Amino acid sequence: MMSSWLDYTINGLIVGNVYALVAVGLALIFGVSRLINFAQGSIYLVGAYIGWVAVVQLHTPLPLTIIIVAAASALVGLIIERFGLRPLQNSVRIAPLLATIGISFVLDQLVMLTFSPNPRALPSQLPDVRFQVGGGTIGPLDLLIAGVGLTSALLLFVFLRYSKLGWAVRATAQDRDAAMQMGVDVNRVNQAVFGIAAALGGVSGLLVGMYYNQIDTAMSLQATLKGVVAEVVGGAGNVPGAVIGSLLLGLVESYGVAVFGTSYRNLFAFLLLVVVLVLRPNGLFASARQGPPEPLTGTFIAPSRPVRIPRWALLVAAAIFAILPFFPVSFYVLQTMINAWLLGMLALSLTLVAGTIGQVSLGHAALLAIGAYTSALLSLTFSAPVGVAIIGGGLMSAALGTALISPSFRLRGHYVSIATLAIGEIVSLVILNWESVTRGPIGISGIPPLSLFGYELVSPTSIYWFSFIVMVVLALLQARLLGSHLGRSFRAIRDDDIAARAYGLSLNRYKSLAFIFGGFAAGISGGIAAHLYSYINHETFNTQQSILALTVVILGGLGNVVGAIVGAVALVGLPEVFRVAAEYRILIYGIVLLLLVRFRPQGLLGTM
Amino acid sequence: MAEQHTMLSLRGLTRRFGGLTAVDAIDLDLAKGELISIIGPNGAGKTTLFNLVTGLDRPDAGHVSFEGQDITGFSPERLAGQGIARTFQLGRVFGNLSVMDNVLIGAHTRLRAVKPAVPVIGPLLELGLALLRPSSVRDEEERLREEVKAILARFGERLLPRIDQPAYSLSYANRRRVEIARALALGPRLLLLDEPTAGMNPTETAEMQGLVAELKAEGLTILLIEHKLEMVMRLSDRVIVMDEGKKIAEGPGEQVRGDPKVIEAYLGHGLSGAAEQESAA
Amino acid sequence: MSNIDRRTLVKGSLAAMMASAAFSRSAFAQSSEPILLGVSGPLTGPNAQYGTQWKQGFDLALDAILADGGINGRKLAYSFEDSQSDPRQSVAIAQKFVSDPRIVLELGDFSSPASMAASPIYQRAGLVQFGFTNSHPDFTKGGDFMWSTSVSQADEQPLLAAYAVKKLGLKKLAVLHLNTDWGRTSRDYFVNAAKEYGAEIAVTEGYIAEERDFRSTLVRVRDSNPDGLILISYYSDGALIARQARQVGLKQVICAASSVYSPKFLELGGEAVEDVHVGTRYFPEDPRPEVQKFIAGFKKKYNGLEPDAFNAYAYDAMNMAAAVVKIGGTDRRAVRDAFMKVKDVPSVIFGAATFDVASRRVKGAMNAELVVRKGQFALWDGKPT
Ligand SMILES: Nc1ncnc2c1ncn2[C@@H]1O[C@H](COP(=O)(O)OP(=O)(O)OP(=O)(O)O)[C@@H](O)[C@H]1O
Ligand SMILES: [Mg+2]
Repeated sequence: MMSSWLDYTINGLIVGNVYALVAVGLALIFGVSRLINFAQGSIYLVGAYIGWVAVVQLHTPLPLTIIIVAAASALVGLIIERFGLRPLQNSVRIAPLLATIGISFVLDQLVMLTFSPNPRALPSQLPDVRFQVGGGTIGPLDLLIAGVGLTSALLLFVFLRYSKLGWAVRATAQDRDAAMQMGVDVNRVNQAVFGIAAALGGVSGLLVGMYYNQIDTAMSLQATLKGVVAEVVGGAGNVPGAVIGSLLLGLVESYGVAVFGTSYRNLFAFLLLVVVLVLRPNGLFASARQGPPEPLTGTFIAPSRPVRIPRWALLVAAAIFAILPFFPVSFYVLQTMINAWLLGMLALSLTLVAGTIGQVSLGHAALLAIGAYTSALLSLTFSAPVGVAIIGGGLMSAALGTALISPSFRLRGHYVSIATLAIGEIVSLVILNWESVTRGPIGISGIPPLSLFGYELVSPTSIYWFSFIVMVVLALLQARLLGSHLGRSFRAIRDDDIAARAYGLSLNRYKSLAFIFGGFAAGISGGIAAHLYSYINHETFNTQQSILALTVVILGGLGNVVGAIVGAVALVGLPEVFRVAAEYRILIYGIVLLLLVRFRPQGLLGTM
Repeated sequence: MAEQHTMLSLRGLTRRFGGLTAVDAIDLDLAKGELISIIGPNGAGKTTLFNLVTGLDRPDAGHVSFEGQDITGFSPERLAGQGIARTFQLGRVFGNLSVMDNVLIGAHTRLRAVKPAVPVIGPLLELGLALLRPSSVRDEEERLREEVKAILARFGERLLPRIDQPAYSLSYANRRRVEIARALALGPRLLLLDEPTAGMNPTETAEMQGLVAELKAEGLTILLIEHKLEMVMRLSDRVIVMDEGKKIAEGPGEQVRGDPKVIEAYLGHGLSGAAEQESAA
Repeated sequence: MSNIDRRTLVKGSLAAMMASAAFSRSAFAQSSEPILLGVSGPLTGPNAQYGTQWKQGFDLALDAILADGGINGRKLAYSFEDSQSDPRQSVAIAQKFVSDPRIVLELGDFSSPASMAASPIYQRAGLVQFGFTNSHPDFTKGGDFMWSTSVSQADEQPLLAAYAVKKLGLKKLAVLHLNTDWGRTSRDYFVNAAKEYGAEIAVTEGYIAEERDFRSTLVRVRDSNPDGLILISYYSDGALIARQARQVGLKQVICAASSVYSPKFLELGGEAVEDVHVGTRYFPEDPRPEVQKFIAGFKKKYNGLEPDAFNAYAYDAMNMAAAVVKIGGTDRRAVRDAFMKVKDVPSVIFGAATFDVASRRVKGAMNAELVVRKGQFALWDGKPT
């Protein structure tokens, strides 16, 4: 048994090694730009495929392969920095984050279109000798990956400490404005950092691809997720911390598998993240008591004047949508609008917590899942009437969602996003593993259709009206809430939580209230979806949903009730419109997103 | 002085940041209705001291008591509830809120009808009342809005015409005024002002000085951080001088001004711009 | 003749109206309008590879169907809508298909959440949802319009268990499975059958589809001392597990479910998949004419590419759809009834496929016991490895 623990330890370190390659790049970028680069995984993907071309088609030797991949990836990094992020320097803080998400969509799609989504073998170019360590073996690639990870961390350390540009990077990381006043060319620093991080990301994609002898387009998101976890555990922006965080993450996963089994693996990864964030928000290696990591005066939301839509126009729009089924529209259009209304409810919820009170959640789909499972189980197990079950779903989502998120109420800025991302993953993994209640991966089937007072709502027309009315009621309630003292309290907390506390606003109390209200709306949306689909499992409400919801909210304008609905209609409608473009539609969608962030970061209707 | 009712007292208050002791064993007693100014060169620890008193930071050693109660380590929201209001040196208005809403936030601790003091379910009742808005809640809101207008009227025509504008659109001086209005809306028993005239021109400074004098005359207890010595001399009952976290002098303005230790502190660290002008004048 | 022309015209204008309302592509009528099948499946998103494989299988089958003169003189075509295997999109696509009068039958979706979310819509509208990869035991319970040729795991897993336990003589098994509805159902059937045949289950480990690192899982497996590893995997994860098993020093016999059957499995697994046993539904040297026609045709059409299991499922599904439509015509209800009538449709997977009317699935999948030898799938010769 002892020897098994040695093996688990070695395996943890080996996979930690792999995470470190991505995490170091993320840390470098975060250190300078205070930005979590969600496109890092895509650069890793691009690197892997460039490597494939070099190895399989050009037959380059390994050192040359590495140079080609590093150079090409660095170029991609420079392009991202120059055209994707630099124009956003002076816009909302959330804009670059969203831009990196858009860039990752675009890059992943480009790779998929160029190389087809089929996985490919990426043969290792190293001799296949293996050394016995413990019960298993390690190969030359393990050593190379460790070597590249440690060397790059070391080189970065030396570069940051001793070179002039490195000094500029550190100065910028510490205080951007001060660095600029001292004559540091911040753009050049950013370029250098993105170039280095991208080269590193590309090479890591190559090496990891060789390690598994397999590359495919789905590897990007997973790499980003694990890299972000490792980086934040080590202390965002801290390069050696990222390496140690990665190794720790690898170990925790490996021991988690050892003790509880494979299906708990990611649960431990994300629990580790949440625990670290709650106990040591600046990472394991930050000094104990420091001022807040975000600049004291910065606010997350750009000032903007929301577009005021006259009440009569809203009434007319609502009336048109209410009578839409009387027009000769196809059921397909109605179903698409039903999707829009369901997404609209989720967006109302998210625009309240992300927009109005400033907690940018990346795990909002978890609230849908909680509502959906509760409603499904209430109606199946306890034969609750569907209408009651859906309200039960809303209440459970409000209560459980708020309870789950409450430990991260004291976090700020991007850390909230990371914590909610992790909590979203945890909810999905608990659903997967808690079989006695959720039926695990088999999911819940035979969920009764929507019904109200004994009447089944099965025609698209009746479902359309039902979901439309529910959404309008939720929207009106939310508008009323925003007009009360709670609306201004929420927005005050968003704009400056320190000043808000100094005036007696308890962050826990008001963040809870926002999540309770928002959780209810999201839970209702999930509940309706469950009865609409009749079958749900742990994959029904996934991370993509969370990201889509956030996109909707930013498109509409943070905190903007009407904007959330407009955004939902647009983002459900656009991909449907782009159906003509078949495989290209997600690419087009990504590009539209980027243009939007670039030219209207405050959203269509503006931040409230 | 001795018989006077002590409002705030600090004993051995200390805060360290790594190797730096930003506030070093500060003692201070502030009587009801008194106005004490804290001066000192940049980085002396004045703002950090305010943060310790208002709960935004916790001391490493020492005690703060307010109205006889030990409030060391209390949360800022609790202290706001006890009647301590402050302004911030860099200005922390709520940028996207209107002037009216900014000042209404100041009155948050005084909301009663919409925030029933019921344990556990209190927050849920607050949510329900905010949505239902019975007449008691509407009346309270209306009353507070009138009060806010009265407070804004103290600034003449500076803020009233802009009452519905978002704070980010205001001039720098007006944002400082909004901060003070917000502090007044709390109905403070103790007011802490951190450089209320920073960045203001002489006319504006004079206006602000007039307002602070009025507040003092109304009996408000005030702790003031200020670099403009002219104003400090006019308003203060006592002046405390800090340098490198320590209290190096305390007493009536004129006495402190002539204290060689004080002059040394200012000269030694290079005079802060404002102080230089004022003391040269 | 004139009758048909008029119908085409009416449908054409209806379709054009639909197109403007629904942004539908490919809706404009052609001179002789084909019988249209709707396909809902992933062309983008994490499962995009499977949609691409479907297309290859469909197109190959269609070539032969059209060369044979189509369906009663009319062409057969399909309209593929990308759902990303997302239930939100599959329900919208379902509404699109059910309200498009030209669609006589629907194929897909790929994943259970996406397929089963759309089932109520197909069922109510009375359009057959032919979920040819949907092995979820509840899929066909969605209603009498849900049909599937996905090999029931209740059928397949006992075959695999028999291969592992009875033929290969394995007594103590470690089961690694994808933790999806498919993998989980399969595992349960496998475990039951293996126990029935007298084997002991040492450990079962479920992993998520995105997992790439299995070293620690394999240490767990090693510590349970099995004499064989069972992989209920797809080809990409199956290849990863086999490679890492060899790396951590596991030398036990590996036996995998038919879903790994793909040339990609050999490519991705390299030397590590040598001697891996695979229970499949067909194999390249299978002398059955339908198999030889499929493999030869596939290689010819796709530049020498070897077909895999998903290609075969799609190929069979299109042939089945053609056979059904031949009987049922273009009336949706008649198409549903035709599923009960079709007999012995030539099939790569089933030999001759006939639906069991009660379960709306096809029983009696073919069984071939293969092993990887010299980097190729070969019929197992009965020799132990
Ligand atoms: N959160 C913090 N972390 C580390 N050091 C800090 C922190 N806050 C303040 N300091 C340091 O403590 C010292 C005192 O700062 P403080 O802001 O209290 O000075 P001050 O007297 O208000 O100066 P000024 O006149 O410039 O406003 C300074 O050296 C400052 O750098
Ligand atoms: Mg200060």
